[in-house]
Amino acid sequence: MTPHHFLYLATILFGIGLLGLTIRKNLFVIYLSIELMLSSVNLILATFSRANNSQDGSIMALLMIAVIASEASIFLAIIVYLYKSTKTIDTETFTNLRNEESI
Amino acid sequence: MLESIIFSILALFLVIGAISMISFKQSVYSAISFLLVMIAMAGMFALLHQSFLFLAQILVSVGAVVTLSLMIITSINIKRDNLPKHRVSPKSIFLSSILILPIILVIFKAISSLDIKFVEVDSSFGTIQSISTTLFSNWVLPFEIVSILLLSALIGSIIISKRRLNL
Repeated sequence: MTPHHFLYLATILFGIGLLGLTIRKNLFVIYLSIELMLSSVNLILATFSRANNSQDGSIMALLMIAVIASEASIFLAIIVYLYKSTKTIDTETFTNLRNEESI
Repeated sequence: MLESIIFSILALFLVIGAISMISFKQSVYSAISFLLVMIAMAGMFALLHQSFLFLAQILVSVGAVVTLSLMIITSINIKRDNLPKHRVSPKSIFLSSILILPIILVIFKAISSLDIKFVEVDSSFGTIQSISTTLFSNWVLPFEIVSILLLSALIGSIIISKRRLNL
């Protein structure tokens, strides 16, 4: 087993997350896709840390987990706010910045 | 040999969980698939001798992030009518794949040209003791910055959720 297997797997996961981010219109799925992409980067960091026998990659992955947690809290607060105000989680609804008269 | 089998099983779980996460219509099923992905990711960390990272992944990602997401999904109680109406069209999947595939192929090419392999590590690699020694000697400043980030995320989420609705 080589580090390449882990890196290929992390790249495939990143691709799936990017696909979910672009094709879905459900806010929750978009949020989970972003989390998936961040976690796949975590896997890459851990793999390089193990391959180079250095702890620095593990520390970076550990700090990334904190970033993921703070991203989750902010994103979920935004989702709750948007759902309370518009009663939907369809991204097609949120077009305030697209309206030309609001510029 | 055993490691390869465990890797294959975990990789299968990761890919199946990720694909089902982006294909379910109901958000709850997506969140449960994401739970599967996070647990399999923790297994990957264990396979890489990162015992503390495995612990942190289970505690934070599985215990806090996924649980919080499930709690929010069930508490705002989205009706079926409020979900996005139209299904994902094959055309959008095709166009997105055209966008994404070149990026993935370039990364694959870069990975295949890498010349790295796993070296033997001593038994203290990835344990809480060696991680904390590195963290509190070379990585003190990033650690403090992350603590400020967590504090600002706390304040920001409180302010967003207490704001008056005026859309």
